[in-house]
Amino acid sequence: MSSILEAILFAVGDEGLTKKEISNILEIEEGKVNDELKKLEKIYENRGIELKLLGNKYKLITKSEYKDYIKKLTDEVSNNLSKSALETLAIIAYNEPITRMQIDEIRGVNSSQMIRNLLSKGFIEDMGKSDLPGRPLLYKTTNHFLDYFNLSTKEDLPKINLEEIEVLEDDDLFLTRYKEEGEV
Amino acid sequence: MEYNFVINDFEGPLDLLLHLIKTDEVDIYDISIEKVTEQYLSFIKSMEEMNLTVASEYLVMAAELIEIKSRLLLPNKKDLDEDEYEEDPRENLINRLLEYKKYKDMIDTFKSLEEERKDIFTKDPINLSEYREVNAEKNGDITLEDLIEALKNFLKRKEDEKPLQTKITKKELSVTERTSQIRDILKRKRRISFFDLFEVKTREYIVVTFLSILEMAKYGEINIVQESNFNNIIINSKEGEVHE
Repeated sequence: MSSILEAILFAVGDEGLTKKEISNILEIEEGKVNDELKKLEKIYENRGIELKLLGNKYKLITKSEYKDYIKKLTDEVSNNLSKSALETLAIIAYNEPITRMQIDEIRGVNSSQMIRNLLSKGFIEDMGKSDLPGRPLLYKTTNHFLDYFNLSTKEDLPKINLEEIEVLEDDDLFLTRYKEEGEV
Repeated sequence: MEYNFVINDFEGPLDLLLHLIKTDEVDIYDISIEKVTEQYLSFIKSMEEMNLTVASEYLVMAAELIEIKSRLLLPNKKDLDEDEYEEDPRENLINRLLEYKKYKDMIDTFKSLEEERKDIFTKDPINLSEYREVNAEKNGDITLEDLIEALKNFLKRKEDEKPLQTKITKKELSVTERTSQIRDILKRKRRISFFDLFEVKTREYIVVTFLSILEMAKYGEINIVQESNFNNIIINSKEGEVHE
């Protein structure tokens, strides 16, 4: 069974498979999928590749200790994300779902171009409209975002100090401002 | 004051403020609005002197700082507003700074995660299209609507890659503007060749410049001299004339 799992994971490559997809293909329960995954993990202990959960999907990856050899195969063009992109992604990731206005408020600058950028790169997606006045779109991060930052699931996001937040005041400001406009 | 950084180094006004506060080594809770406002404004001013465009967001923050500063100067009128708490005018700003700083501090963490991910590799999925083609023909699950939907999604993605719509308007030159430009030139040079004034070769520019010269000649601001036929035409500023 674990060799079938290996075969299908090899076939899908970087697209990966969720636990649910694996259970559908192998026609076994998700609980059993866990066992198979563990077996496969064990097999890979002495191998060059390993099994990793990235962005909610199981993928076969090369072990990081061999990075230097693999990098010899590539003409390394490192395209890192800009500071503003990282900042915006962090704001979305810790507050999702979030509207553009709310992102602007936190950053203190207009973020529409940045949001379009992140949308087209597949780091974020819109997930319908919020109930706020004007029914603005809500954004959230994608599985691709998690994978890009080497994260298995949302729970693996680095902890952020969420204590002393008083966004309340900002909200009030926003509401009163809006009300004024509405009454005029 | 000397600055060894420019406005483009910052993500926005909050980033700039955090930097100013950090260089002062004060706690965000204890910021002196007076001092920070002064530093902020002088920085904005020096950027403008260097002819760097300062985004409007920075000016909004400048206005906000001045407002807070002036509210701090006002005497407390707590007796008048019973409902209202005795609120520190800085509070809102401090909260925003703290909130923003939280995410800014995460940038490095995400950067190192980004790097970590670069150490591992996966591969493209196996190309199964050869097998898929047959299937698609056989069971024909793909309807026209699916294709249209797929195209729509594709176009939407393309749309997002395009820059936001912007409007470029032609700058129109008025005779008054051009007249004062010519005045400036004459102030510096005293005399100039007629043809040198037509440096831009658009119809509009030529017409406006010509009208300006005619007008200036009419009001006696300039002398137009041509030594002989087909010679260069020289425009002289009339000496001793003072123009408004």
